Amino acid sequence: MTAPLLIDIRQVTKSYHSGNVETQVLFGVDLAVPRGDFVAVMGQSGSGKSTLMNIFGCLDQASGGSYFLDGVDTLTLSRAELATIRNRTIGFVFQSFNLIKRMSVAENVALPLIYAGVSRAKAHAKALLELERVGLKDYARRTPNQLSGGQQQRVAIARALVGDPPLILADEPTGNLDTQTSIEIMRSFQQLNEQRGITILLVTHEPDIAAYAKRLMRLKDGRVLYDGPAAEGLRQLAASHEAIAV
Amino acid sequence: MNPIQIVVEAFRSMMANRLRTLQTMLGIIIGITSVVLLLAVGDSMKRFIAKELEQLGTNMLFISPGGDRAQQQRMRTGAAPALTMADAAALNELPSLAGAAPVLQGGFNLAVSNESASKTVHGVSTAMFKIRGWKIDQGNVFSDADVRAAARMVVIGHKIADQFFYKTDPLGKYIRIENVSFQVVGVLYGEGKQVDGGDLADYVLVPITAAAANLVRLPFPGNVHYVVAQGKSGGNLQDAIEDINETLRDRHHIKYEQPDDFRIDNLASFAETAQKISTGLAALLGLIGAISLIVGGIGIMNIMLVSVTERTREIGIRMAIGAKPRDVLWQFLTEAVVICLVGGLFGVVLASGAAAAITATGKFDVFITLQAVVVACGFSSLVGVFFGFYPARRASRLLPVDCLRYE
Repeated sequence: MTAPLLIDIRQVTKSYHSGNVETQVLFGVDLAVPRGDFVAVMGQSGSGKSTLMNIFGCLDQASGGSYFLDGVDTLTLSRAELATIRNRTIGFVFQSFNLIKRMSVAENVALPLIYAGVSRAKAHAKALLELERVGLKDYARRTPNQLSGGQQQRVAIARALVGDPPLILADEPTGNLDTQTSIEIMRSFQQLNEQRGITILLVTHEPDIAAYAKRLMRLKDGRVLYDGPAAEGLRQLAASHEAIAV
Repeated sequence: MNPIQIVVEAFRSMMANRLRTLQTMLGIIIGITSVVLLLAVGDSMKRFIAKELEQLGTNMLFISPGGDRAQQQRMRTGAAPALTMADAAALNELPSLAGAAPVLQGGFNLAVSNESASKTVHGVSTAMFKIRGWKIDQGNVFSDADVRAAARMVVIGHKIADQFFYKTDPLGKYIRIENVSFQVVGVLYGEGKQVDGGDLADYVLVPITAAAANLVRLPFPGNVHYVVAQGKSGGNLQDAIEDINETLRDRHHIKYEQPDDFRIDNLASFAETAQKISTGLAALLGLIGAISLIVGGIGIMNIMLVSVTERTREIGIRMAIGAKPRDVLWQFLTEAVVICLVGGLFGVVLASGAAAAITATGKFDVFITLQAVVVACGFSSLVGVFFGFYPARRASRLLPVDCLRYE
């Protein structure tokens, strides 16, 4: 028997209502992600990749289909139970870092543990350990505004990892960073995946960034266009672009 | 999150935005200050009135001639019977009364050598001293024999003694009242407001007979202005009133169907009315304070709502990393309560300062009671919970995906 999949979504649909108008964003998406995978989700704006990411992160719920996260059927859970899942199972890394400005770096990193009910002292110690891993231990007492974009994103990664979740969800993590810093951030994701066996789900629209992943999923108009090895997928993407250019 | 962490978080968030916190708190500070101060003023006022009433004496009845206005008119011409010294003497014998004393009073010119002033002079019987509990500082009260003899004697209050016999012994000396010499036999002890509104220290008391013979000229010499009576302590005042009624109707030959030609006023009922008024006034003052507190609470609700909107993204971040709706609810609710409690404490401090300032003027003593402080703190937390709940619940019901999208 194989280990259960970390992410198992089947025929997921999502539609929004605004007034009487119903807009469908996802039209039956399937994805099975085993532990230790590194998946890049690509697609143009409007392809539904952000919606899919919110569903993966239990920030939003699917309108139809099924979503099992680490063997748990998330569609049946209450808001409080979903909060617990986000706290224990998922680490978030956002494009705009999303650190709380009036808290120190260390307090930001410790916050998921505080919500998990860990004592302040223990949470602080674990936060310092994670900050050390991303090379920012000396910045623990500063506030996020005193850090560069790359440093803030590393703080966000430390916060995502502090609860030792099996899954990292990264939504355009390099979108606000320069090329050099982007490369550093992507390398650290690769290391996390290879050395700590953390499953990573990455949303991006840049092929360069997607190239760091093992596997690629391309979305178009709410449907899966490609799901397979990253190298092959990117080659197809490049070919289609050339075709348009010609 | 445990409760201590929630409170610590609330304080941090308050300190992070000091100006807004202070503005929010201002309403509560003003509200609590007024509640505490107005409660204290109301309370002190009640105590003040109670003290004043105590000086008037207990179980006091005030009997005046003339049942209605027309009778009073006839009485002045002598056509209707008035109250007489004999009536007072009869009432003085009633077993349900501690005593009854007739009074004649009027404003007269007092003079000692070249010092002169117009004062109210009371003609009284010895029974008056007994029922009012007046004490003598120096000398003696005139006796029943002196009253019968219409002796020209006078008992004076402290202020009178100071005014006319400054730093000398007044006993044995003479005061001319309307050019009739009265010998000072005693000086009254103490001061304080009396039934007729005068000050005990400013009293001039002569035997009622001497007053009738020399000062107060009534068409009928035996008549008196009014009679003061006191019910027996421990007895039923209503019974005493019945007895007086019966005695006077009998003495005045009033037929069964005819109305009284006198009036009995119960000072206790005045006292009760005064107490009711002061209690009502205290409640009113408290209510005014409570209204200002509610206004402050609405201010809190508004600013908390703004705060929730401003911090939508923060709420989203917190929810994304594991804050349950309940955690968010508690965070904002605690913030509101902490703001109210801290504001309440400031308010109590301010109110204490104001109370001390009022007391320092010496006109009125205002004390902040522990009870008022406890009520204020309880009330302000209640305001915090009540007005903080709606914004807090609104924050907790936000969807994480919407919050994170919020710019």
